[in-house]
Amino acid sequence: MSLSSPFFHQALSTSKVMLIVCIALLPGIIVQSYFFSYGVLINVFFCSLFAIIAEYFVLYLRKRKPWKIIKDNSALVTGILMGIAIPPTLPLWMSFIGVCFAIIVAKQLYGGLGFNPFNPAMVGYVLLLISFPVEMTSWLPATTITPNVPDFSDSLNLILFSQTSNGDDVEFFRQLADGYTMATPLDFTKTQFTLGLMTSEILTNETLLKSHHAWHLVNLAFLVGGLILLFLKIIRWHIPVAFLSGIILTSYLLYYYDPNLFMPTSFHLTTGATMLGAFFIATDPISASTTPKGRLIYGFLIGFLIVLIRAFGGYPEAVGFAVLLLNLASPTIDHYTKPTIYGHNLEEHANE
Amino acid sequence: MTTIEYNHIVKKAQGRFNGGIHPTECKTLSNQQAIQSLPLPNFLILPVQQNIGQPGEIICQVGDEVSQGQLLVDNTEVFGANIHAPLAGKIIAIDQYPTNHPSGLPQTCLKIKTAKQQVSTELFSPINWQQVEPQQLLERIKLAGIVGLGGAAFPTHVKLAAQPINTLIVNAMECEPYITCDDRLLQEQSQQVIQGALISAKIVNAKEIIFATEDNKPDAIKQLSQCIKQIKSEVTIKIIVAPTKYPSGGEKQTIELVTGKQLPKGKLPASMGLLVQNVATLFAVYQAVNKGMPLTSRLVTLTGNQIKTPGNYWIPFGTTIESIMQHFDISDFTNQPVVMGGPLMGQPIFNYQAPVTKATNCLIFNIAATDEKMWLTQSTQHQPCIRCGECDKACPVDLLPQQLFWFSQSDQWDNLENQGLFDCIECGACAYVCPSEIPLVHYYRYGKSSIKTIQRNHEKSEKAKKRFEFREMRLARAKEERALKHKKAAEARKKAAQDKKADPTGKQTAINEALARVKAKKSAQNSTNPQPKE
Repeated sequence: MSLSSPFFHQALSTSKVMLIVCIALLPGIIVQSYFFSYGVLINVFFCSLFAIIAEYFVLYLRKRKPWKIIKDNSALVTGILMGIAIPPTLPLWMSFIGVCFAIIVAKQLYGGLGFNPFNPAMVGYVLLLISFPVEMTSWLPATTITPNVPDFSDSLNLILFSQTSNGDDVEFFRQLADGYTMATPLDFTKTQFTLGLMTSEILTNETLLKSHHAWHLVNLAFLVGGLILLFLKIIRWHIPVAFLSGIILTSYLLYYYDPNLFMPTSFHLTTGATMLGAFFIATDPISASTTPKGRLIYGFLIGFLIVLIRAFGGYPEAVGFAVLLLNLASPTIDHYTKPTIYGHNLEEHANE
Repeated sequence: MTTIEYNHIVKKAQGRFNGGIHPTECKTLSNQQAIQSLPLPNFLILPVQQNIGQPGEIICQVGDEVSQGQLLVDNTEVFGANIHAPLAGKIIAIDQYPTNHPSGLPQTCLKIKTAKQQVSTELFSPINWQQVEPQQLLERIKLAGIVGLGGAAFPTHVKLAAQPINTLIVNAMECEPYITCDDRLLQEQSQQVIQGALISAKIVNAKEIIFATEDNKPDAIKQLSQCIKQIKSEVTIKIIVAPTKYPSGGEKQTIELVTGKQLPKGKLPASMGLLVQNVATLFAVYQAVNKGMPLTSRLVTLTGNQIKTPGNYWIPFGTTIESIMQHFDISDFTNQPVVMGGPLMGQPIFNYQAPVTKATNCLIFNIAATDEKMWLTQSTQHQPCIRCGECDKACPVDLLPQQLFWFSQSDQWDNLENQGLFDCIECGACAYVCPSEIPLVHYYRYGKSSIKTIQRNHEKSEKAKKRFEFREMRLARAKEERALKHKKAAEARKKAAQDKKADPTGKQTAINEALARVKAKKSAQNSTNPQPKE
């Protein structure tokens, strides 16, 4: 069938956009796997594989041309994001459940790419977090501070069979030299606050400082990837900037209110999935608000909610919840933030 | 390459418009060569209607010998435009022929066999425009059948009747890729275009003429500013140069670039004291007034990778695309649409028998390389919309194309209208940038026509409802009237029957009547002869 105008087209395609997103995730993946062993790479690999298989399966059932659609690389992005988000020793069957739920329920049941109201990777992540809270918060200590660094076969065995060939389980690798079990900085501070410690005491804890260093660098790497996306104009500045402003403003106000009970802004910016969320998760355009003003509100509220959930919520990490809540709100935000069309609202100004 | 010198005549545009795109220009293909003419075509297919409005009256017959410029279709309608013979020849048929009409339906056309010998004749006497009344100039423009040659083909005499106008903006943006006819016309005939602008300014009583153009036409700007320097006129003439960005040539965008203000919704440029005219239109005005020539041909950009010598050519209306293709020896071009107009807003023509008309500013004969996606004329299965927002960044009227698409594909007409569907100017910038290759404009056209159909049906049913209700009312009234009449008649009959019963012969009635008459007479006498005083 012939087309009507326009006949001119630029070269960028959706498949390429998705592929560039995958490539921009690489610095983060590399740094994260440096600090948290091969488990990260293995997870990313298996999650991507599961995502593509699940996508193929549903497209086959829907009688579409699976390979043609899989080429849009969107399932790949979901898989990689899931692989990054889960702990590096999570049993494979759990990853499988999470990824399948993300692709089949959160994406394909709604009609596939472009029709999902929620960010599929975050739906999968939150499902796992709620279902398997212990396993989902069992992060390894950074390889730089632990004597027990799993090698490749250890990691693979942990993921496949939950123990290495020597019979060591995840808890063995989570122990530090002094016998403490390691937690992520977010988890650690949460526990410390419940023990009645003050911010200044928590911040000077040596274990935290060391492990926080690793998370600094992971966040920095995702920031670099995000800046690449901005530079290539794959994403726009609105959501990341509003997202980070939301975190900065909210955490600053809380810290200002009581510096002993809340963590400082710098802590929130450089820990957990802050940068991954700001540049790769909240910017998923399908589930985000789509008006210029709406993107700012959307990003800001995610940042706001992240700090609130981190400070007051039951779960240490909050990006997934915050993003899903705002996904829910984005049609409403869109409705109230329509831009002024050319030549509209001029009469009212003239009468003022 | 010429650089632009900015001075008191040539100025940078102060305004800007949101959005816009920077497609590959492809203009050097055709703007390097001087304007040329094509050899006489063997025949012409001349549509009797080439612009909006009512068709005119054909005042010639099959077999007539016509001279060049002779009036063939007389149009006295408000939005009508006359049509003259582009070349001398003989009318051999008046029939339905395929044309470039957007509906794809054939139109009534005059088929003219062109004469071997062409004698140029003056149809009208040249006018010295400085010495006549504006009304006479307007009349001439109407007689010459001039319409807007930028592509919309709106009758110029209607546009020039708007008052009051302060500024005449000459739209020389020519922002679409490939098209260079205005650029080339300004380079070679800028004196004449300026004269045309002055004539138009006189008609509408404008104080100022602004040539609005893009900075990718330095040669035309240079030529134009040199000519402006030599003009002595009370009207100030300026050139305003905008940065090259599509669609700066859209009327709304041009106004925003030149004035820094937006045209309020639903208003005409005249409400801001502005009149926007295209370069080629003003040249036609000059030809009609100063040379006495009706509009019978125009400058057309012939370009694309299938033409060996692309450039700008004077082409008489009615010349078929087929004959142009024969001239340029284009043989590999089959089942491909010739694009009439630019690549972003043009119209695909599959039937090469279609003629060049007043609205044809460019013909593109292009075949895309197999791996190239830039030139897209066949629909493919597009990828889903990921709401990436590239389109809303590109939209020059600040719409949200991704939302329009969403509501259009799910037939949500109310939401579609609320999103401003009818503010869309169909410039195609959104579809150009869409990474999923969604033919967005196609979806908007679908939405627009669906909504219009629904509105039309609604109006129809409203009308039918009113008619039905009136009919019901009328029937009820008639019934009531009839019933009343019947009742009265029945009563009369009844009374008559009763009377007859009481007084079968009618004697008593006659006596009663006579008594009443006497009584009346007596009382009348009493009142005229008053009793004498005692």
